[in-house]
Formats: sequence, C-alpha cells, structure tokens
Amino acid sequence: MKATTGSLTETIVYNDKVVRQFLIASILFGIVGMAAGALIAFQLNYWQMNGKFLEVLTFGLIKSEGIQYLTFGRLRPLHTNAAIFAFVGNMMFAGIYYSTQRLCKCRLASDKLSAIHFWGWQGIIVAAAITLPAGFTRGKEYAELIWPINIAVVVIWVVFAINFFWTLAKRNEKSLYVALWFYIATIITVAMLYIVNHLSIPTSLLHSYPIFGGVQDALVQWWYGHNAVAFFLTTPILGIMYYFIPKAARRPVYSYRLSVIHFWSLVFIYIWAGPHHLLNTALPGWLQALGMIFSLMLWAPSWGGMLNGLLTLRGAWHRLRTDPVLKFFAAGVTFYGMATFEGPLLSIKSVNGLAHYSDWIIGHVHSGTLGWNGFLAAGMFYWLAPRLWRKPTMPASAHDEQSSCAGLYSQSLANLHFWLGMVGILLYIGAMWVSGITQGLMLNAVDDNVLAYPDFIETLNAIRAPMLFRAIGGTFYLIGFLILAYNIYMTIRGSRAVDGEVEVASREMETSVSLAGSFFNAPVTYSSLAVIFSCIWLFGGDFSLLVGFFGLVITCLLAVVHFQVSGAKWQDWYAGLLKNSAGFTALTFISVAIGGAVQIVPTVMVERANNIEGRIQIPYTPLELIGRDVYIREGCYTCHSQMIRTMVPDVLRYGPRQDQGYSRLGESIYDFPFQWGSKRTGPDLAREGGAIVEGHTYMRSGLRNNEWHYLHMMDPRSTSPGSNMPSYPWLAEQSYSVETIARRIRVQRDWLGVPYREDWTIDEIRESVETHAMEIARDLRARGIYAEPESEMVALIAYLQKLGAYEKISRRDRNLRAARE
Amino acid sequence: MKKETPKNKDDSDVILLEHEYDGIQEYDQRLPNWWLITLWGAVIFSLLYWFFYFQSRVGMTDIELLEQRLERIEAANLEATLAMLDDGNLWQMSRNTQFIQAGRNHYTAHCSACHGPNLEGGIGFALVDNEWVHGSAPTDIFRVIDEGIPGTGMQAWGGSLGPKRIAEVVAYVLSHHEQP
Repeated sequence: MKATTGSLTETIVYNDKVVRQFLIASILFGIVGMAAGALIAFQLNYWQMNGKFLEVLTFGLIKSEGIQYLTFGRLRPLHTNAAIFAFVGNMMFAGIYYSTQRLCKCRLASDKLSAIHFWGWQGIIVAAAITLPAGFTRGKEYAELIWPINIAVVVIWVVFAINFFWTLAKRNEKSLYVALWFYIATIITVAMLYIVNHLSIPTSLLHSYPIFGGVQDALVQWWYGHNAVAFFLTTPILGIMYYFIPKAARRPVYSYRLSVIHFWSLVFIYIWAGPHHLLNTALPGWLQALGMIFSLMLWAPSWGGMLNGLLTLRGAWHRLRTDPVLKFFAAGVTFYGMATFEGPLLSIKSVNGLAHYSDWIIGHVHSGTLGWNGFLAAGMFYWLAPRLWRKPTMPASAHDEQSSCAGLYSQSLANLHFWLGMVGILLYIGAMWVSGITQGLMLNAVDDNVLAYPDFIETLNAIRAPMLFRAIGGTFYLIGFLILAYNIYMTIRGSRAVDGEVEVASREMETSVSLAGSFFNAPVTYSSLAVIFSCIWLFGGDFSLLVGFFGLVITCLLAVVHFQVSGAKWQDWYAGLLKNSAGFTALTFISVAIGGAVQIVPTVMVERANNIEGRIQIPYTPLELIGRDVYIREGCYTCHSQMIRTMVPDVLRYGPRQDQGYSRLGESIYDFPFQWGSKRTGPDLAREGGAIVEGHTYMRSGLRNNEWHYLHMMDPRSTSPGSNMPSYPWLAEQSYSVETIARRIRVQRDWLGVPYREDWTIDEIRESVETHAMEIARDLRARGIYAEPESEMVALIAYLQKLGAYEKISRRDRNLRAARE
Repeated sequence: MKKETPKNKDDSDVILLEHEYDGIQEYDQRLPNWWLITLWGAVIFSLLYWFFYFQSRVGMTDIELLEQRLERIEAANLEATLAMLDDGNLWQMSRNTQFIQAGRNHYTAHCSACHGPNLEGGIGFALVDNEWVHGSAPTDIFRVIDEGIPGTGMQAWGGSLGPKRIAEVVAYVLSHHEQP
C-alpha cells in the first residue's frame, strides 16, 4: 500500500476499513449488552421478567413460570461479557487501530491479520452469546466462557498482539507516544491475566474445571477480575484518551512528566490491588492488607490520568458548549476520576464491610463503564464517523471552529444523547448508592447484641424503589445509545468510506537505547532495588525488617541525590527507551508481573494443608457434585455468596452456632471453581446444609428441609413471600447423566487432588447416586411431593443440603495427612 | 481563529516539548503539589499500616477482633440467662474468656485464701481434682457457693456476690475441667 511519490517521501494509506468494522460492531454489540443490562435490571424488581412476561406478550401461547435461557443467573454473565468484551473490546480495537497507525505513521502491518482479528473476535462474541444463555459456563465472573472459546480468545489476542507489535516495528515515527505505552501495557497484561485465570482441565467439549480451587481460585480470579477492569477497561481507554482528547481539543497534552509518572505507577500498582475484592473474608490477612493499601496508593496514579485528560482541555473549555465530542470526553474523564476515587474508598476494610456484596459496588462499576468507557466511546465514535465516512459535500477536514465533528448527521441528536446518558448515569449510580448503603446498614445493624433485621427479605424490600430507579436510569442510557446508533447510521448513509493517508519521509530508524540498556541503567536499578528492599521489609522477619527498611531509605536517598546531579541523563535515557519498543515492552511486563507473583505464587505453592485453618471440607458425593454443576450452570453465584466474613453481623446472621463462626479456608478447599460470590441479592448460603439424617446413608438436612427447597425452587414466593428470585420449574423436568459425573469425578481426583477413591467404578458411582437420590425422593414423597429421583432438582437439593459440611482437623492430623500425600 | 490566552500564570514558563505525534504536542508541566502529596501520603500511610498490623504486633488481626466482639455479645446474652441457670449454660460460660477473666478476679479476691491460688485446695477442698463432695453438676457448685454449706467453713456468698459474679466464679472453676 505504499506508493513512492519521490525519492524522499512516500504516501501511506491507512487501513481504516478495520477501524470502521470495529466501530460498527461496537455499536451493535453495545446495544445488545445494554439491552441485556436493562432487562436484568428489571428482573431484579419484577421476577416475571425472567420469562413469565412472554406469557402476556404472546397471549398465553408460551406458558411458563420462567424460561431458563432468560433467567438473571444466565443473562447477567451475558450482559457483563457483552459490555466488557464486545462493546468496550470492539471500541478499544477501533480506537487502537486508528490511533496506532497515525502515531506510527504507518499502515497496520498486515491486512490479513487485521481481518482475522476482526472476524475472529466477532465469532467469539457470537459463540458467547449462544453458550452463556444455554448455560455453558465456567462459573467465574467475567471468565464464564467455556474452554474452547477461551482458546479462541487467546489465539485472536495473539493475532492482535502480532499485528500491533509488527506495526510498531515498521513505524515511521522514532518515538512512542504515551497512548502507545498504554496499548502495550494492555496487550501484554491482558494476555498474562487471561491465560492464568483460564487454566482448566476439560471434562468434555463444553465443560471444564479450573485448576485452582477454594482460596487459590478466589485469589487468581480476583487478580484477574480486578485487572480485567484495569487493563481492559482502563489502560486502553486512557491510551485512547491521550490520542483523541488532544486531537479534538487541538491543545497540547497537559504534562509529559505526569504521563511518565502516572503510567509507570499505574501499571505497577494496579496489579496488587486484586485482593480488595476479598476483604473481610477468610483470605489471609497479609493479602487483604496488600489489596487495601495498594488500592489507596492507586488513587494518585489514576487521578494523574484524569488530570492529564481534563487539563488538556485548558484553553478549550469554551468549546464544550458547542462541541458534543469534547462534552462527552470531559464528562467521561470526570467519571473516571470519580470512579477511581470511589475505588480506593471502597477498598478501605471498614467501608468495604458495609459496601461489599451490596448494590454500591454495582453502582461503582457502572460509573466506570457507563460514564468513563461509554462516554469516551461515544465521543470517539462521533469524532471518528465524519472522518471515516465522508459525504460528497463535506470538506476534507471535519474540524471547524465550533465543533470537532462537523459532518456528523446531527449534532443536536448527539447533545440529546449526552444529556439522556448523563441523567441515566446519575439516576443509576445515585440509586445504587442509596440502595447499597441502605441494605448494607440494615444487614450489618446489630442492636442489643442481636441482628436488627434478621429477615433478609425485609432488607431486599427496603431497596425496591432505588432498584427501580436504577432500571429506569439504565433504560435512559440505552435510549441515548440508540440515538447514537441512529446518528452514526445517518452519517454513514450516502457517504463514502475514506481512508486516511500521510506523507512520510523515507524511513530512518535508529534505536538509541539497546535492549540491555533498557534494563541496566540508573532509574531501573533504583526502582528494582526499592521493590526488593520493600519486599524484604514487608515479608521478612525481625532482622530483614531492618535490612529492608534501611536499604529502602538508602536507595531512595541515593536515587534523589543521583537525580539532582544527573536528572537530565535520566530524561535522555527515557527518551531513548521510547525508541526501543522491545525494551519498553519488557519493562512493562516486569512491572505488571511483580504484583501477581508476590501474591499468587506463595498461595499456590504453599501446600494446601497450611491453608485450611483447622477445618476441611467433606468432599461432595456424586449426586451433590451434579447439583453443584447445576448451581453453577444456573448462575446462582451471581446472587448468592458462600462466604461468612470475619464480621460480627455476618457471623450472627449466617454462622451463629458457637462452633461455626466465620467461613474458614478449608471449608471450600475442594470447590472448583470457588463460589464465594461477589454479590448478595439473596442471602449467603455457606452454611445452608447440615448433617446426615439418621437412618440414611447420604441424605442431609440443614437449615431447611427438602420440602422447603423443592417448593422454593418451583416458586420462591411460596416459601419466601416478597422474594425476587426466578422460578426454576425446569429443574424438576430435566435429568442428569451419571456417565458425565463419573468423568468429572475422575478429573477432580486425578488432576485436582480431590480425595475420591482410586478404585471407584462407574457402577459404584451410579449406585451411590441412585441411593442418595432415592433417599431424597422418598423423603419428599413422605411430605406429599413427587419428585423424579433422576431430576436435576433432586441433585440441586442434595448440593444445598451439603453446603458447609466440614470436619475438624487438628494440627497433628493435618501433618499426618500431608505426610501421607 | 480566536487567540487562546493562557489562563494559568504558570503557562508563561511552561515548556512545550518540540516533538509532535500526528499533530499532538505535549507540555511538560510540573506535577501539582497536591497530587504529589496524595501519592506519597498514600505510600507512607501504607507502610505505616503494614508496620502497625503485621510487624509491631500492636494491631489486632481481624479474627482476634472478631472473636473478642463475638465473646462480648455471647457474654451479654449469657447474662440474660442468669435467671434460668442450668448446667448447659454454666458450661458454656466456662468457655467464654469474658466470664473466666471476671471469675478469676473474684476467685482471687474471695476464694483463694481457702481453696488456694491455683485451686489446689488448702483449708477448703481442692477444685482441680475430679472429686466433688457436694455434687459435681455446675448447678451444684453454683448452689454451694450461693448458699454455703452449714457446719463447714464454706459460707454463703449469694448475698455479697450476687448471681452474676457467682456464675463467673463457677465458670472460672469449670474452665479447669472438661465438660463430661
């Protein structure tokens, strides 16, 4: 695509086709994701929205208390995956491909790879949209997709990475602009996170178990979950901000220095903060503390990005009145600042004790996605559309004095979108503050040494009104986005697709810092020493405490003095580093890898026996394991936690018996994946189960009997008036397969270390399943309920009655057991 | 095009970096002081926090704090059961450190003279062996302290100590024994 126009310059035509494709895909899937969000928001208030509403819509043609493909538990993963990977993902690729070509003055390295990237990614999205409602899931948040799709994601991500880094290698611009730093961090970190958190052992084409269980799985999951937010929803969008805001505002970026400091501190610190999703749980205290303090330290680096975004608008503020693009950008960056202030606040352990598992977290997430991601996306789309498609009458530049998106079909509609979206977000997050804090306070209230609101439903019904306002706010936002889609469609209609081009002087690349030079130099040496001494201080005993402390102080002093003397040289070195993309990438990778390594490696390596706190889970019987897979398939974890936190109200509410207390690590050691949950729309289930009923081999009975569970699943409101849980009538009709569970048990035993008998034959497993199921079915029969023993309902009841079963194990037993293993 | 005058007086001596990327230029402004304070303040707070909770051994862990609070709640609830004492809740009290602590204090003040500072006995019977002359049930022990044993040196403490303190003493004594 290069045409030599002279001996010195050549004209390069950019590949803007793939940008257009990603832009359109992002809008389409944005609508799908937001519509799913609006639907599930209404489901929380009106249980009929889980399928029964079709009865009314079709005048009784479809008769159902609920449709399994439409329940909250299955659509919520669809909503999150669509919003993150389809909407923001496609938007991110559009923005990255558009800006990278221009910042490198070079066409994307390979048109083929670009096309594979685009179509591959859309294929993944379609596969996700089919499998998630169908109930194929790994049961880990934002990592629900089944393993064949995981592999496809990794392959496509690698295609993206090759295409991107190859383009960098071919660039006609010596130095890397700050936007590219953020793209580099995104690509390598997401790859690292995604691969580690998706390590699984397949049991069939559609099902797998993660290789980590219990606390290890929790830690890996939230290392991933938190940093998916960081490196999928934040860093690429910051890069996009660094390109599109100065472009639209036509102002220089506020501060290069701030870019350098906030970039490196952000990528280094972000990774450590994952455990703040597990505060006040059984997670070891040192990990919780790291999660909290690194979240606090993250506040300033995040605000560095906000400052650079907002202050770049200095001198262009007056144009906010007339330019919808700048309006969206300014509001989006402001929401980013708000969300990144709220984040550290929520990471303070005592605040988290109130807010965790509540709607406050949902509101927090949405001020990030709707405000920051959504508004940045809208601004970018409005800016890009008239540049990627041109009306025959349009001048070459889409800029005019008033607006940076002249050529857009309608700027008034863009303004309408802005205000609808803004009102929508404010309604949404305001409602979620009210509801989260209200319910949190009610659930945590202890008066006169007893719970003030012992009935969970009472706290749920107290937040019905804010939950409704949330749904309305979300609908506003969706309508605004539909207006965007219409506006962009009308802009494209009758326009011609145009590709940007640039004249470049013949390539003359030189690298002023060698790869070795990237690592061996003053700033990197001081940073490494500081990290090493900090670790010696923080994790060492008495002596190393002193060594670490004084080492750190001396390193810092030396670094300051050295900088005073030869700071200019450091700047030269950094300017040189920016010309060596391999060195830059390697340093970024090391920065992001440290946090994960320090937190995860010890937890995974330390023998399991040290992680049980005197209790060890009793492995599931085959029938219970079948029930557990049903529980995961139905997405029960999206509303129910299984973790009694180390807090008085949690223990009083969910683990009051004297010998029980909070959830110990050992109680979920055989849970693949862990089911601690992240939201309590319903009550915690960690101790729902109980002991084996006398005269039975397997059947257990816990807080409630089998009859209650059966009726509750068929119609939750029959046992819990006012409940918003969907009905699950299909569980009584669908049956399970013993062959499948035998295969899964084998995987758990051979690969995951669950102590099932080596010589367990399939016939014995079948016999155990049948005996267990018959015991439950007979018990139900005695109470006048006829349930098929082979139905999933019976399996699910078996699982629920098992929850919280553990045996105590002393230090001596533990050592013996460890020795035997 | 309207001239955009810098609003900030600092702008006059701000460096505009020469390099340009696709038309984008960068200033090189100093980092705002409040931002630096936020950054370093958080770093220093974090180090102090860690030192306080994990190295100075002054801060209590979550679990210690939780156990303490739960015990307080349990103690308060047990107090409410004083009116209907039975063996079960006396045994329960004997596993609650709040009761044991209080009981030890009363014991040292009132009982150790006869029964020995370590319950090993002296003028009175030993309370650590498993021999109970006047009945071994916790309620028996409570009654002995409350009403005394006429004709022996064991006086009735009910009037001066009251049921709560007596229960605490019983809890302390029972804390040296295993529930059968």
